[in-house]
Order: sequence, then C-alpha cells, then structure tokens
Amino acid sequence: MSVLLTSCPSCAGQIEFRAGSSIVVVCPFCRSAVARTDRGLSDLGKVAEIISSQSPLRIGLKGLYNGHGFELTGRAQLGHEAGGVWDEWYATFDNGWVGWLAEAQGRFYLTFFQPVQEGSPLPSYDSLRVGAQVAEIPAKAPFVVSEKGVAKSLAAEGEIPYRLEPGEQSLYADISSEGGLFGTIDYGMNPPWVFVGKQVTLDEIGLGQAKARESAVAAVASAAVKCPNCAGPLELSAPDRTERVACPFCDSLLDVNDGALVFLKSLDKTNKPRFAVELGAVGKFMGDVPFKVIGASVRSVTVEGEKYFWHEYLLYNPMVGFRWLVHSEGHWNFVESVNPGDVSVSGVGSTCAARYKGRKFGIFQEAEACVEYVTGEFYWRVEQGERVTATDFVDSPSMLSCEYAGNEINWSLGTYVTVPEIEKAFGIRGVAKPSSVGPNQPFTGGFYITTGLAFVVALLIAAAALLPFTGIERTVLKETVTLERLTAPNTPQTAFSGKFELKPDRNVQIVAAADVSNTWVDLDVDLVNEASQEVESVNIPIEYYTGTDGDGAWSEGGKTQDASLSSLPGGVYTLRIEGTWEKSSLPMQVDIHVKQSVVRGVNFLCALGLLALFPAVGIARWITFAGARSGQSSFGTLAGRHLSGR
Amino acid sequence: MSYLFKALFVMFGVGVLGAYSVATWFGWEVANSGSKSRLGVPFIYGGFRGGK
Repeated sequence: MSVLLTSCPSCAGQIEFRAGSSIVVVCPFCRSAVARTDRGLSDLGKVAEIISSQSPLRIGLKGLYNGHGFELTGRAQLGHEAGGVWDEWYATFDNGWVGWLAEAQGRFYLTFFQPVQEGSPLPSYDSLRVGAQVAEIPAKAPFVVSEKGVAKSLAAEGEIPYRLEPGEQSLYADISSEGGLFGTIDYGMNPPWVFVGKQVTLDEIGLGQAKARESAVAAVASAAVKCPNCAGPLELSAPDRTERVACPFCDSLLDVNDGALVFLKSLDKTNKPRFAVELGAVGKFMGDVPFKVIGASVRSVTVEGEKYFWHEYLLYNPMVGFRWLVHSEGHWNFVESVNPGDVSVSGVGSTCAARYKGRKFGIFQEAEACVEYVTGEFYWRVEQGERVTATDFVDSPSMLSCEYAGNEINWSLGTYVTVPEIEKAFGIRGVAKPSSVGPNQPFTGGFYITTGLAFVVALLIAAAALLPFTGIERTVLKETVTLERLTAPNTPQTAFSGKFELKPDRNVQIVAAADVSNTWVDLDVDLVNEASQEVESVNIPIEYYTGTDGDGAWSEGGKTQDASLSSLPGGVYTLRIEGTWEKSSLPMQVDIHVKQSVVRGVNFLCALGLLALFPAVGIARWITFAGARSGQSSFGTLAGRHLSGR
Repeated sequence: MSYLFKALFVMFGVGVLGAYSVATWFGWEVANSGSKSRLGVPFIYGGFRGGK
C-alpha cells in the first residue's frame, strides 16, 4: 500500500493515509473511521472523541528506537473490562517497521508484531491460566500470562494499522518475561496475533523531550467536580485515569462514567480510620519526584481468626504514574509494580521462594486480603470487600508481593521507608513509630557486627605480627637463694641474687618457687637498677595447703607463684629478696626465675573483650530481631502453590 | 546521629587496636604486680591466707 490522499466517504473532508501500513484513518472532521480496501474506501462508523488525558505523547511526535526513527501516526483508546482506559500509539518507522507504543498507568511498552512459528499454535484463550507459561512464544525465559481480559475499542485518532471497528470488543492476554519483556496476544484475530516488545522509558525511545515539555502542563491538570450525593467539592488529580472515587465527605462510592460521577453506594464506615497522611498531601520519593496522595484504603488479612489491618495510599505523579505507600503497624513501604515475567517462584510452603533480578526473596506470609475502606480516587474499580490472595516474599529491605485474583496477577516491590524519611518526604512530624519488627525492616546493627568482627580479625593479625618482635620469651636469671631462719617471727630475712641484664620495652616476670606444704612464705622482691639505684618492688606470696575431708582430698594454692611487671628501663639489675614464713625456725630455700617477653595474653584478652563487645551485642540483637520478624511470618503448607513453577 | 555513632565506633575500634599494638611493642602490661601495673593493684589475687 502507498500514501493516499483522498476524501472522507462520510463528510468529503480531505483525509490522508500517510503510512503505507495504515488500514484505517480517523477523519479529523467527522470522526468516521475510514478503511482502505482493495475495492476502495469503506466507512466503518463514527468513533468517539479521544478522552483527554495527561499523556505526554501526541500524534506527530518523532522518536528513535534501536537506531531507527519513527513517528507516532495514530492512537487507539481501549477500555478495560474492569474499568480504566489505556492508549495504544501507532509508531510508523522509517524502515517500514510498525510498532505499538502502549501507555498504561504511566508506563510505556513498545511492541512489534511477531509471527508465531508454524506448527506451534497458540493456546486458546480459555485454556490460558494467569501465572502459567506460554512456551509457544519463543523467548530467552518463557513468557508468563500476567492478565487476560476483554478490551473494548473506545476511541481513535490518526492512522491505525488494522481494521478498527468502533465499539468492537476483543479478547487479549498480556504476557511478560524476564528483562522487562512484554507482549500481548490479541485473540480478536484468527489466528491470534502476538505482539512482543519490552517496557521502555520515553528517554529510551527518543521522546524524553516530549516528557519534559509536557510536564509543566500535566502537573497542574486536575478536574474540579461535585459529589452527586452530598455536593461536596471533589478535585480529581488524575481525571483521565480515575475509575472510582470515594467521597471523603459522605463516604459514597462513586463511579466515573465518561467523566461524570455516578453514585454507586454508601461505604461501610465501620473501619473508617484516621490516616497518618491526608489525601492531597504531596511527598517526595524516588529522589525528588513529587507524588500526590490521591487515594487511601484500609485492607485486612485474617490470620488464625484475628484480623490485621493496614493502610495503603495511592500516589500519583502525571509523568511517572502511580505508586503506593503501605503503612502497616508503624512500618512504611514505597511500592512499585514490577514486570511479572521478571519474577520466578519455586517451592511450596516454607521452601517457597521468589527470584527477582538476581535476588532471592523468602516467603513471609500468604493470606486473603480484603478491602475494608476506601477514600479518594482510584484508577481501577475498587470495591469494599474486594478480595485477592496476597503473598509476600521478603529480602530486607525489600518485599516482593503478589496479588492474585483469578484473571490477573500483579507483582510489586516494596522498599522499606523509615518514619523519619516519611516525615521528611511529606514535611510532617509526629508520625507514630513502629513498636514491632517489620517483615522487611532492615536490621540497623549490621555495621557494628561486620566492623566489630573486622576489628577482631585486625587484632588477631596485629597480635600474630607483633609476636616475633615482642613475644619470644627468654630467661635472664635462674637462681636458688636460701633465706636463713628468722630471728623473730615478723622480722624478715634478706638475700640478694646475682646481677642480670634487663632489656628495655619488654615485660618482666619473676617466678618464685618454694617447697611449702600446708604453710606459707611471703616474699617482697625488689628489682634494683645497679646504675640508677631505682627500685621496683613486687610481692610474691606462696602458700600451699592439702588435706582430706568428707569430699575426699583437696589442695589449695601452689608452690610456685609469679609477679608480672610492665617493662623497666634497660640495664643491669639485682634482686633483693626479703621473706617471712610460718616455720620461722627453719631456713627457706627459694628458686627464682626472671623472664622477659613473656606471653601472658592479658593485653590481648582485654583488647579482644573490648572489641568483641559490640559485635557480640550486635549479634544478640540480630538474633532477637530475626526471631521477632519470623514470629510474625505465617503461611500454610501449600503457600505459593498457585505461583510455583512459573 | 547514626553516622556519628558509627564514626565514634570506628574511632573506638582503632583506638583499642592502637593501644594494644603500642602496649605490646613497648612491653606495657596490665600487670599483676609492681608500681608500673597499669591497674595499680595486683590484677589477679587468689586470697592470700598467710602473711606478715
């Protein structure tokens, strides 16, 4: 096909098929979908006006992908069966490629038609199971079904590369795989068409400028409306994406229908909470990106008959999309959705684990989560009482969560946020601090354990390195002295040793041994420096007692005692030994040894004790912390069965 | 505050390591006797029963 300039069969206005691959052009004058066929032009009917959105994209924008230029030449707006609208932009490449740039919840997916291998038919729509693999579509890691549903063609503009029938409904299945790979199986075709690509950022496809240029406008876009029940003023922050609004004034649940609010029902206020962060508050996350709190909900799980509640805040930034803030028992998590194809789950029960981007997350809990209360606006048709199977996997400080609800599976990654960080992000104070250990709360004492153990290792190395220089023991005096019998019981006898040399900077140990039995001898030993006549005195008491009693033989004390000193100035010394002893009428013979560089280990043990104190306390804290965390964990023996083997 | 505690802890660890190394090099002991005992009193005292 070629470029074609012609007239609209409905209004005769000029229309142009600029891309050779275009099948349908939406007439800019009468909004007729005009298809070109081999037999001429065909009017497929009127299409609705595009619902205005804060999308940074527009027809005519030019980008670059894998070195090939493209231009956005068409746009289809599709409706989700559960509410919500997404855009699919038609990208015409200068090399003839045709790509689809899908835009949903602020995320972009660029996909291309991929022929299915012959002899490998795709599974039927009904046989597809959310979470199951689709091996028929070749990929490095198998594609996994993340969602299946019905899409309704709502509106279009520009050129469309397929026969767009206004209001037509078609079945589809979204699939994803590792590395952000994304795809869609379009069951509206026979056989089904497969589109495969990946999630991209606007910067990656050369449309970053569009993002920056439009952001200022988008940031202020909002719609002021009134609650149809109480006439309370409501300001919708994401009017193009909001599907449900819970009026904060009268607690009415409102449906958004073509931009108009319709009263659905009054919400049960039984569990109406006081939220820590108010609707409309703006907090900065992901660096310095401002997010507005546009919705809040209370959810619960029931474990062993007891209900546990937590709060979830829906955050919105027009350029980034939606995020969540989860507040549970004083613990906060900033939550982003992740590509289901990037997650793999193995094992069941306590062995169940999820892997995401090289990280392993252990199962923490699995339970049925229920929506108890909502307020604000939501991009899906939220319902009070809505239930999903929620499975949490933990690798502190992150938590990987899966919500499974029949035809849709959503994975999200939560990152622990401390209370001071929440207070700083929102510029508020007085946020309650947690009183328990959070499932993915990081342990803050790790630094003291690792650094403390590093110090202990350093001490061992230092001790080993110093040993050859300071720890080779040598005996500088070995002598036996005899003290004559005492002239009076309390009048000591004195004897002198021979001269010996002490080296500086080496400790000194004097060992005295006397053959005592059930008696004692008390020695005052003076080290006399021959040069300076300075005296260093030590006391060496020796006592040794033995006997028997009802428990048998016993002994106490010893025949050898020692006294240790710090280093003395180097030089020649003599020992002056002064003694008294119990059996004073007999002489006392004493063996004296003087040693230097004695390895006593006292300094080492003191240093080791000081250095090991912090890691020991830290390890004890960690054991308590981990125990408190695991005490909160709860899952059945079949936990993760619906996720396992993906 | 957390950073301050960590810095103080590192300083403490380096100080202990340094004190140990210097004491070992110069032969300073936590001695059990003598006036140069860094504790000033006998470090280990087994309960002497006799005496002057």
